[in-house]
Amino acid sequence: MVRAVLFLAVAAGVYFLGKSLVGSLAADAQTARFWVSAAWVVATGALAWVGLCHLLQPVIRMIGLNFISVALLIFWGGVLLYFYYSGRVNVYLPDDGLFRPLMLAGGIGMAVLGVFNLLTGKVQAGCCGHDHGHDHGHGGCGHDHGHDHDHHEGCGHDHGHHHHEGCGHDHGHGHGHEHHHHEHAHAHGHGHECCGPDHGHGDEHKHEHVSACHGEDLVHHHHHDQSHDHGHDEGAHEHAHGILASPRWFNQSSAVLMLLAPLALAAAYTPDQYSAQAVLNKNLYNQTYGVGARADQFSLRTPEGKDKVPAKAAAPAPAVADMPPPADDSKKLPGAPGVATAEALAKTPEKAPGAATTQSYGSFTLADLEAQVPRNKNGNFELNVPEIYYTAGDAEVQKAITGQPIETVAQVLPEKVNNENGHRLRVFRLLVQCCAADARPYSVPVDFGKKAPEFKDMTWVRVKGTLTFPKEGDQIVPVIIATDIEETTAPADAMIY
Amino acid sequence: MRPKNKVLATVLSGFLGLVFPVCECAVVPVVRRLVRKGLPISCAITYLLSAPIINPIVIFSTLNAFKNVDASEGVLGSVGMTVARISLGYVIAVIVGISLLRKRPGDVLHRDIAAAMEKAPPESEGTAAVPGLSFNAKLVQAMRTAKDDFLDTAMYFAIGVAITSVFNTQVNQEMVEKAVAGNDLVAIPALMGLAFVLALCSTSDAFIAAPMAAFSSAAKLAFLVFGPMLDVKLVFMYSSLFRRKFMVGLCLAMFGLVAGLSVPWVKLIGQLFPTF
Repeated sequence: MVRAVLFLAVAAGVYFLGKSLVGSLAADAQTARFWVSAAWVVATGALAWVGLCHLLQPVIRMIGLNFISVALLIFWGGVLLYFYYSGRVNVYLPDDGLFRPLMLAGGIGMAVLGVFNLLTGKVQAGCCGHDHGHDHGHGGCGHDHGHDHDHHEGCGHDHGHHHHEGCGHDHGHGHGHEHHHHEHAHAHGHGHECCGPDHGHGDEHKHEHVSACHGEDLVHHHHHDQSHDHGHDEGAHEHAHGILASPRWFNQSSAVLMLLAPLALAAAYTPDQYSAQAVLNKNLYNQTYGVGARADQFSLRTPEGKDKVPAKAAAPAPAVADMPPPADDSKKLPGAPGVATAEALAKTPEKAPGAATTQSYGSFTLADLEAQVPRNKNGNFELNVPEIYYTAGDAEVQKAITGQPIETVAQVLPEKVNNENGHRLRVFRLLVQCCAADARPYSVPVDFGKKAPEFKDMTWVRVKGTLTFPKEGDQIVPVIIATDIEETTAPADAMIY
Repeated sequence: MRPKNKVLATVLSGFLGLVFPVCECAVVPVVRRLVRKGLPISCAITYLLSAPIINPIVIFSTLNAFKNVDASEGVLGSVGMTVARISLGYVIAVIVGISLLRKRPGDVLHRDIAAAMEKAPPESEGTAAVPGLSFNAKLVQAMRTAKDDFLDTAMYFAIGVAITSVFNTQVNQEMVEKAVAGNDLVAIPALMGLAFVLALCSTSDAFIAAPMAAFSSAAKLAFLVFGPMLDVKLVFMYSSLFRRKFMVGLCLAMFGLVAGLSVPWVKLIGQLFPTF
């Protein structure tokens, strides 16, 4: 206990010390900050871990490993079911496919397994049939067992603590076995066979059954010394217990902590969304506009899922002109600004633009755009960021959409590319391939022509403006020339599937 | 067993994952039990290495993850990558298994497992040994075993997930890609190292590999084959199953085989399935 407090206190000290140390570093000393922060986290974490293990160890002894393992199992199942039924899972897993049903099945399975084991804890279930390799016959004294063997799997005896029966000495186990609770007929204090098959166990040392033995209080509550390496072969415990039944107290406590802490902390504290730091680390600024695996899904030219086929060759003028222009009545469309220009552009022979990524897919006019993309009540084309992103790969779509009023809802982060004059912000949406773990940001710059307004990182905004496609670096970049930007509420699906 | 039969048995063990699918965490306790019941070492290890890859769930998820990747010169599409992963995983598992044909359990297994095996001959293992054990008792024991195995696996799983999530969100992916993606000589070991650190489940690691546009198909293949065979959590689990010396040799062999065979394998599969 003392050691636990000691370690935790030192951990807290290191935490605060490290915090101020990191804070004192210059904001842009990136490498230094990274390594110092990492060292700080590791040191604090390790110390806190050891302290918590010290704290956990007597608790494990008191409650007993069997109950703890059942409780952990029910805990895991419970967390899964909680996430499922509360709807928090909606952010993590797609609503179609097997993932959510599998999660439900898993949660139910774990809970059922845990409850089953809880209820059958006292049932005897045969013997493993193998020698555990510890000499139980030690009516001999003076050894520290300190391990919860829990051979209850079927061995019919609890090894952990009958050994001292013959000894009559202070074991310093702190098993908290309340040995007087044994229901087996043998009394304490005299050597008895460890393996008497009449012990219903599998239960823990939470021996609730009435003891017929004796009246003496044999509760050893003394906490003995932590080092229990009593020379038991660790491997000798190898009867499918795994690490939870390890004789080394630290391994055992660590195992329990590892099963408890991460899941509990995550379930309690996760905000169910990525942080700005995570988005920044996921190639936010390293976008290959117009190129990607989901071009067809987000192309403005096709309904979702249909393949678009690039026009042959690099769109030489004759090839394009040969294709019958669709919707020749586009010039008659009322109220559409710049229609005449767009139509004229659509009929102009195409030349393959500079960037290799922009391809020609055949004629696409404003009328096509109108057909595929709805105008919202403000008269603007409502696009999402991936759609804007992929326009950079399609020459005719670029021509059709340049200058058109568009609107998009996205999250905002500062712009760090081509932004020396501070006129730009970056907006993004997260795209999910399979589940939240593989989410990637698709982002485009927004240019204000003057100093960009300030927004808190990750704010949801509605941007209105027009699209332009300058060549920056060695690729075509779809830039939104903003006419308006305002905060807005997050859409129902924060991440796009 | 006569050597001829053992070779055949090893070769067939590589396919067991199709019938008994298991992920890479769960395979270790399963193999431990099988070995104690008398399965030859070569078969057991072949199953250990191949089952996390050659199983229906992994096949399905690999196909799905790469479905947006267009096959082209030197780039494998979804069918190509799936076939490459399965076949390379199988070949490596069988190679390792066959190289262990002559080994006795004592050379390979952790001394405590081997010792326990010697003390209690395999046949007496399990509830079958105890006559008259009722169905209920067997059920209870099975459920207890399931509980213990689950928690054991879940602990390693939690470790792997913790490492993965830190890496995924706190490390700048752009820096990682810039540093290693270009050159295959560097990219392949780098992605194998990533697979080791991330310790992803074989059923879903394809979804992490597929979008890594900067890396070659060979590097991705190495990631997908090496990960299920060896990673941070498997190191822990193997060390409870194998002797230390054997483990070191096994790890080196796996690393060498995967790193060496990835590039030629991509070429081979690319020729067999050029448009997939």
